[in-house]
Amino acid sequence: MLNITKAIENDNAVFSLEGRLDTITAPQLEEAIKSAVSDLSRLTLDFEKLEYISSAGLRVLLMAQKRMGQQGEMKVVHVSDTIQEIFEVTGFSDILTIE
Amino acid sequence: MEQICVELNGRIDSGNAAQVEETIKAQITQPGAAVVLDAEKLDYISSAGLRVILRLKKNTRDLKIINVNSDVYEILEMTGFTELMPVEKAYRVVSIEGCEEIGRGANGTLYRIDQDNVVKVYNNADALSEIQHEREVAKLALILGVPTAISYDVVRVGDSYGSVFELLNARSFSKILATEPEKMDWCVQEYVKMLQIIHGTEVPKGKLPDMRETVIGWAQFLQDHLPETAAKKLLALVEAVPQDDHMIHGDYHTKNLELQNDEVLLIDMDTLAVGNPVFELASMYNAFIGFSECDHEIIKRFQGFDFETAQAFWRKTLAAYLGTTCEAKLTEVENKARIVGYTRLIRRSIRRKGLEDPKRRQEIEHWKAELLELLEQTDTLTFSPNELVIEAVPENLPDVQAFVDEHLEGASCPMKAQMQIGVAVEEIFINIASYAYAPEKGNTTVRVEVSQEPVSVTITFVDHGTPYDPLSKQDPDVTLDAEHREIGGLGIFMTKQLMDDVAYEYQDGKNILTLKKNL
Repeated sequence: MLNITKAIENDNAVFSLEGRLDTITAPQLEEAIKSAVSDLSRLTLDFEKLEYISSAGLRVLLMAQKRMGQQGEMKVVHVSDTIQEIFEVTGFSDILTIE
Repeated sequence: MEQICVELNGRIDSGNAAQVEETIKAQITQPGAAVVLDAEKLDYISSAGLRVILRLKKNTRDLKIINVNSDVYEILEMTGFTELMPVEKAYRVVSIEGCEEIGRGANGTLYRIDQDNVVKVYNNADALSEIQHEREVAKLALILGVPTAISYDVVRVGDSYGSVFELLNARSFSKILATEPEKMDWCVQEYVKMLQIIHGTEVPKGKLPDMRETVIGWAQFLQDHLPETAAKKLLALVEAVPQDDHMIHGDYHTKNLELQNDEVLLIDMDTLAVGNPVFELASMYNAFIGFSECDHEIIKRFQGFDFETAQAFWRKTLAAYLGTTCEAKLTEVENKARIVGYTRLIRRSIRRKGLEDPKRRQEIEHWKAELLELLEQTDTLTFSPNELVIEAVPENLPDVQAFVDEHLEGASCPMKAQMQIGVAVEEIFINIASYAYAPEKGNTTVRVEVSQEPVSVTITFVDHGTPYDPLSKQDPDVTLDAEHREIGGLGIFMTKQLMDDVAYEYQDGKNILTLKKNL
């Protein structure tokens, strides 16, 4: 289960994720980002209520990072220790802007 | 063959023994004939009388005594006569007119005859050997620790025989479920408790029939009624179920469980056997659902409660018995039980000329269609609480995660480790789902084991697909920047990093991947 709450103001978007970002739910986030990304220069992903991320979720984050890197910036905020460790193990902590 | 019946009257002692002997001899007109001594009116026999019978026995090839009252029976038993020749007791006559029916089993019906006693009337008119069998297995069960009622008398009921039990103020679980639905959860709890006592009871070899042999017989019967491949698979599945010396009741539905004051008692023991629990679950599935699958009124007539109650009770029972709420696990075990259950239902109906009746034929076709579908997706009939057998498709990931999580929570696994294990489980399961059987489909087994000192969790995935070692893949370079990063191989890399040990082997046509995490 993944809930995505979207707050978009002009070219600035905040997506708050709640639940699990896995093989089943990652396409949901991918779809949400793809449909909004062309108009964005700033994308913030709020992970405060995200409980779980797997490589399928990382794949979407990488896709989003590559895209936003070309046209603006992307950051991930409120990352739990558990998810932070996943980012570190996979080198994603060096790729993503994490606050 | 000629049979001569001689009546014995009153008292036979030294005073009249010689005279009685002459009277008997006079009645045996044909030497070599079988002689039946009818003791209905015999009140007493002394040793002088017994010697008369002994002499008679010497000259008669076939001698038996019938209608012996309990005083005389005691004398015959004490002197060893009951072992020398057949001695049949006189049966008390019991009437069930106006008595309440309180239970119904495979071979008889239970009536309350007074406040403290019930009689089980057997369907078969010539039921003495059945009664004997049931008394013996009930005694065996009692000695082995299964709470049950033992019959203390055999009686005549009309043209049938019955056995009498003391059952004070008892109510069957069916009646409780039908009249007090709010007690459903309590009923489930007690019903499962008893089931676990039965299945936890080891039976000395040879004391009870082996249910596996019986079910092999059912599967053999179906060989002519199913497509060849399915028929062979069915037989192979049953034959592959390992021997098991633990008790199964064989007809464990809620009419066979009685609440006597605060004590729960099992009754109707004639189907007692030994075997794998899947055979028991099959008969339970049939009792609650299988029999009534096409006609929901059947359960009402038989149990007194409706089909929805039966479904809820069955599913709750299965969950409590397996100690899981994971739907995928419940469905896995239920499907195994259904294979055996349908096999029995189809055979039973065909043997009772079900194919000749349009309505019952339709029912047989329904069970057959279900059975064929289940056979396609099943590799084994056995199950274990810490193993989930599930079709390896990505949509089943949440079920796999729920199953693993339930076991991890049971082991008080910290949240962080639980998520890391979740990530590894996802990678491996999705890997199997994507590659092992493509483009076909197949099952994978997920086994969770928790061990102490040091506390660790081991998760094993087994599939029968294409041999493939995911660990042989080269690790991705995780130092590259976003532009140059590829996502391939990241999942397996994460798995290796997050787990303490990851191992792969290919053995007997199976991919076996093991994850280990120290907690």
